[in-house]
Amino acid sequence: MECVVQGIIETQHVEALEILLQGLSGVRKERFRIHELCLKSGPNLGVVSSELRIMCDLEHPTPAWTVRHVGGAMRGSGAEQLSVMVRTMVESKASKNILRFFCLLGYRLDHELLKVGSTFRFQRGVRITVSVTSVNKVPRLHATEEAVPVTPGIQLVEVTAPAAGDNYNEVAGAISSFCEFLAPLVHLSKPGVSTGIVPTAAAAAASLMSNKSL
Amino acid sequence: MPVKWVLPWQPNPGMTVNSQILSEVSQCAESLGGVKGGRWKSTLTFYRPMVRDLTVPTDCPKDFLGLALQDRPDRYYFIVRGRIVVEADSAMLAIMDKLQSYKARVSLNFEGLQYQVGDFLLRVGKVIPANSENLRGIMMEVEYLPISSLETSRQIMDDFVDLWREALSRRSLPGHFLHLEPNFAEYGLSNNYSPQHTTVQYAAVVAQLIATIRS
Repeated sequence: MECVVQGIIETQHVEALEILLQGLSGVRKERFRIHELCLKSGPNLGVVSSELRIMCDLEHPTPAWTVRHVGGAMRGSGAEQLSVMVRTMVESKASKNILRFFCLLGYRLDHELLKVGSTFRFQRGVRITVSVTSVNKVPRLHATEEAVPVTPGIQLVEVTAPAAGDNYNEVAGAISSFCEFLAPLVHLSKPGVSTGIVPTAAAAAASLMSNKSL
Repeated sequence: MPVKWVLPWQPNPGMTVNSQILSEVSQCAESLGGVKGGRWKSTLTFYRPMVRDLTVPTDCPKDFLGLALQDRPDRYYFIVRGRIVVEADSAMLAIMDKLQSYKARVSLNFEGLQYQVGDFLLRVGKVIPANSENLRGIMMEVEYLPISSLETSRQIMDDFVDLWREALSRRSLPGHFLHLEPNFAEYGLSNNYSPQHTTVQYAAVVAQLIATIRS
């Protein structure tokens, strides 16, 4: 289970956001270049249709494969009152032939993405991860070198933290407090609830960049 | 990791397995100077597809197997027989559960005692369904600790299994341990032994057990 919020930022302000995150975390950012393959169950397979993601971080010298399943969001009045989405998420490392395995089981490759960006990790009572990502679509099978941005000039900001059934309120609170630090640059909300670009971003970015040059 | 052979007990025609055979096999391990170690257990699960409409042909295997090994508690292994063997974290079980495309149907436990005979580890055990004590078979693992190459270890493994069979033959048991030698290359596995090799052998052992029970 995880708590998650998302927002968008113009690429021109990403450096300022990274300066802010660097200052908050005190540790260096981790770069990633993830080849993500989205698989969907073939017709008639499964009680309901299902999908999963197989990811490989191309930034690592030895490619490591991860399978991720993201479940539905928690529902109900309690969940609606939270400012974050609470959803099930399970990840598993796997051997390099895992894509072939799921294809043999009857899953079909739906689309591929190349996600390029940086991750910052924080320990604020809970373990919070912030990722800033340029999402690119892969036009031909496995041709990651030909990837083109899905939304040119815009990057995705995602804040996540692991949670459990007995602490998601506390985790949601920690994420909400943390998001206030980023509010001048990016507005973060539940995935699927688009809030657009923050009007103050340009001024906040200019301020951060001028502090950097001092 | 050290090379390992997994051998099922093959009863003589018309005979079945019973706990007395298992007891004799364990005594034989001790008579070879085997130092009794702890208990061991592996669990193999059959997964079958869940389809929405049985009348519509679905492009998927009729089953595949999952294997949990005691010495790799954080890992899980899957095999589609004759096609592919994969390694994953044990969290993959939760993912399979959430996908609801395949269902775990039957689980078999392989469990017993471990003996150390010089540089060899010998695991003798019974094969029973996860929810009952009905003996379905007997199996043995022979692990040679100093070598991880299948080819390099072949001669010494052969010699040990011959010695073991000779010791066992004095007890006039109604059957013998069978070395199946699955084709590891079919799964893209190298000469260097890995848990994936163990998975391929367990799949072969189970196929043999099923064939024996059916016959």
